[in-house]
Amino acid sequence: MDFAFLSETFFKLLAGFPLTVNLAVLSLAGGGVLALLLNMARASGWLGARFADFYVFLFRGSPLLIQIFLIYYGLGNFPAVRESFLWPFLREPYWCALLALILNDAAYTAEILRGGFRAVPRGAVEAAEACGMSRLTRLRRITLPVAIRQALPAYSNEVISMFKSTALASTVTLMEVTGIARAEVSATYRAIEIFLCAAVLYLVSTLLITRALRLLETRLSPWLAGNRA
Amino acid sequence: MSGLGVNGMGEPAIALRGIRKRFGDQEVLRGIDLAAHDGDVIALIGASGSGKSTLLRCIPMLEVPQAGEIFAAGERIALRDGQQKLDRAQQAAVQRMRTRLGFVFQSFNLWPHRTVLQNLIEAPVHVQGRPKAECIAEAEALLEKVGLAEKRDAWPAHLSGGQQQRVAIARALALKPRALLFDEPTSALDPELVGEVLKVIRGLAEEGRTMIIVTHEMGFAREVCNKAVFLHQGRIEEEGPPEQVFLDPRSDRARAFVSSHFNRNR
Ligand SMILES: Nc1ncnc2c1ncn2[C@@H]1O[C@H](COP(=O)(O)OP(=O)(O)O)[C@@H](O)[C@H]1O
Ligand SMILES: [Mg+2]
Repeated sequence: MDFAFLSETFFKLLAGFPLTVNLAVLSLAGGGVLALLLNMARASGWLGARFADFYVFLFRGSPLLIQIFLIYYGLGNFPAVRESFLWPFLREPYWCALLALILNDAAYTAEILRGGFRAVPRGAVEAAEACGMSRLTRLRRITLPVAIRQALPAYSNEVISMFKSTALASTVTLMEVTGIARAEVSATYRAIEIFLCAAVLYLVSTLLITRALRLLETRLSPWLAGNRA
Repeated sequence: MSGLGVNGMGEPAIALRGIRKRFGDQEVLRGIDLAAHDGDVIALIGASGSGKSTLLRCIPMLEVPQAGEIFAAGERIALRDGQQKLDRAQQAAVQRMRTRLGFVFQSFNLWPHRTVLQNLIEAPVHVQGRPKAECIAEAEALLEKVGLAEKRDAWPAHLSGGQQQRVAIARALALKPRALLFDEPTSALDPELVGEVLKVIRGLAEEGRTMIIVTHEMGFAREVCNKAVFLHQGRIEEEGPPEQVFLDPRSDRARAFVSSHFNRNR
């Protein structure tokens, strides 16, 4: 084992880490907001529910890689897009990758959140209605907080999955951890050492994320502490 | 403030007129008239499925009846013929009415993600918009009153059923309601926990609170109420002072119901 090379590689890859985190955090944030909107659309009536179904079908049913390619290589073919104010963004691989990640994450998160909403005890909502809470206050103070707590264990998987999915951004030239790894491999042909380094970086990150989310779970639902394995 | 002297005079706390409610083809309430004046304690009794819960839930419009008029805590909602949904003005009136009524459910329905104290101040702060410090002080006094001062920071999931129901009663009281509505408050409890909840409700009756109580605890109902209402298949079959309804009912059905329940329970 060439430890000097390994540590050199490790630091090179680390340079891409901020971009990896950036993509993960922003796609989760954007996806989370979209997921909430999708659930509100679903609650709004038949049309909204069909739209949410179709959206989830579309983005969960096709590979993320294809979605990234379609946005990056595909959108530029439409003159309407090229002439719109969005073009300065959509011509950039960063924004295309981020958009694809957000749209994809929204589909999964919407389903997770839907499960959370379904698990909110009917009686808790009714008690809120009975004391005169408006729909918005109910959502903000009761339904959403309870739904989020119910959904958190499942959402933890989604966070980890999204974190790893940022690797696909390397396919459209982004130099995040995997992008740098691929570039290093073509320069040195030392694939095993370099990709192992990258894998370790992802492993350590997901370990930390898992821990942090577990902590958040007990923080938000202290009454479950001890009841859970 | 308590007492029968007020009855029959002034504006009632709650008055229902011609309430009809259908679920699909099933007519559950077939024209109910009922009034509760300030200080009244009304026991609502009847066989399972006779429509007691539905009637009670129609007051704060947790169920929207097909017809009738509801006057409660100073708000009037009159349903027009064939009206499917409440209009904006009616919804606003319902919202205002609800903040002035306390509802206690059979299954407690505490908010699981809030501590006992937070459950109590949630609506006063976030619905009534009152200052938080004031609400906390009142909530602490209410917890004292229901005997749960030391559970202030406990989670609902860590309380017994009897304790949860007492918190739920305190939560209803925190709204400073004009009247309290109880839907079988002890039916979900283990027998040994029933007493502690009934004791709290009895205390409220002695304070002169206006209450409508759906219950199968006949002995308790007879003691605390000043008026009993017997519901049968969506109609009021018998109503009157407790001595009449519980001891000497005119209707045969009420007689059969009451005697079977007294034999069963006490
Ligand atoms: N949400 C509902 N949908 C359909 N039927 C209902 C609903 N709520 C109550 N019912 C029916 O209405 C009747 C009266 O119910 P309820 O008011 O709960 O009676 P009680 O409280 O006296 O036992 C029952 O036959 C019940 O099945
Ligand atoms: Mg009932």
